[in-house]
Amino acid sequence: MVSADVPASQVSVDPPAAAGGSTIQVRVRLFASLRERAGWSEQLVTPQVTPATALSLWRQLGLARSERDGDLSPAAALPPGSGAAAAPVVAVDRADDGAAPELPAGVRVAINHGFASPGRPLADGDELAFLPPISGG
Amino acid sequence: MPACPHLTIQLRDQAFEPLEALAAWQRQRQEPGGGGGGAAAEAQFIGRVRGRTAAGEPLQALELEHYPGMTEAQLDRLARGCADRHDIAALLVIHRVGRLLPGEAIVLVAVAADRRGPAQRCGQELLEALKHEAPFWKREWSGGRGHWVQGNTAL
Repeated sequence: MVSADVPASQVSVDPPAAAGGSTIQVRVRLFASLRERAGWSEQLVTPQVTPATALSLWRQLGLARSERDGDLSPAAALPPGSGAAAAPVVAVDRADDGAAPELPAGVRVAINHGFASPGRPLADGDELAFLPPISGG
Repeated sequence: MPACPHLTIQLRDQAFEPLEALAAWQRQRQEPGGGGGGAAAEAQFIGRVRGRTAAGEPLQALELEHYPGMTEAQLDRLARGCADRHDIAALLVIHRVGRLLPGEAIVLVAVAADRRGPAQRCGQELLEALKHEAPFWKREWSGGRGHWVQGNTAL
C-alpha cells in the first residue's frame, strides 16, 4: 500500500496523497523538559516509514539529537567553528540519530492518552506523546 | 459495602483548603447516592509543597505541568484499579496543577471503607500510583531559575 522509494525530503513537504508515501498523519506532543529542549510542543507529522511507531518518529523528528544537546555543557553547545571540540560532538550525534535502538531511559510513550509501547504501530489521527520522567503527587 | 465504590476525582488550578474539601466530601456522601456516610474507617493523606528544592535551596514556587486529557483519564484508571483491589466504599482525589507556593496543598487522597486495612492500603497504593503513573511534571523555581524535577522523593 505504501511505496518505499519516495525520498524522505519529499514526504515531509508534499501533501500526503501526492507524495505516494505514508498517508497517515499523527499529532505529536512533547511535555516539560522534552518540550523545552526541542523548542516545540505539538505538531502534525507525516511519518516517513511504515509502519510508523513512536520510536521511528523520535528518530524522524531529531528528538534524539535535541535530547543529547540538552545535556551538553554551554561550551560544547557553541556553534561549529567557534570551538575545536564542538564539531566532532555534533557529527557523532547525527550519526547516532538513525540508529537509536530505543528511547532514552525514563522517556515514556502515550498514544491517545494511554501509556503504550514505543514499538506499537501508529494509525491515522493518533495522538502520540513523549513523556519525560513523571513527578506527581 | 456498595458493589461500586463512589469515586470523586478533581484537578484544580487554584489553591484549595484540604480540610474544607474533606468536609464537603463528607457532606456529599451523606446525600442519596453519594457513597454512604456511615463507613467505619477513613484514611486521609494531604501532600504539601516543601519549602526547599531537592538541592536544598529555598523554594519560591513549584510549577506543576500536566497532560490535559490524559491526566484525567489516567487518574480515573488508577483510582478505579485501586478501588477494585480493595474493599472500599468511597474515594476522593484532588490534585493541583499550575503554580503552587510552599505550604500549599498539592494532593489530597481520602478513602472510606468498613475497615482500616483497606482504607489505608488503598490510599497508599493510589498515592504511589499518582507519583509514578500519572502525567505530572514538577518544576522547582528558586533564585529566579526553574529546574525540572527528575523522579520522585523516597517513600
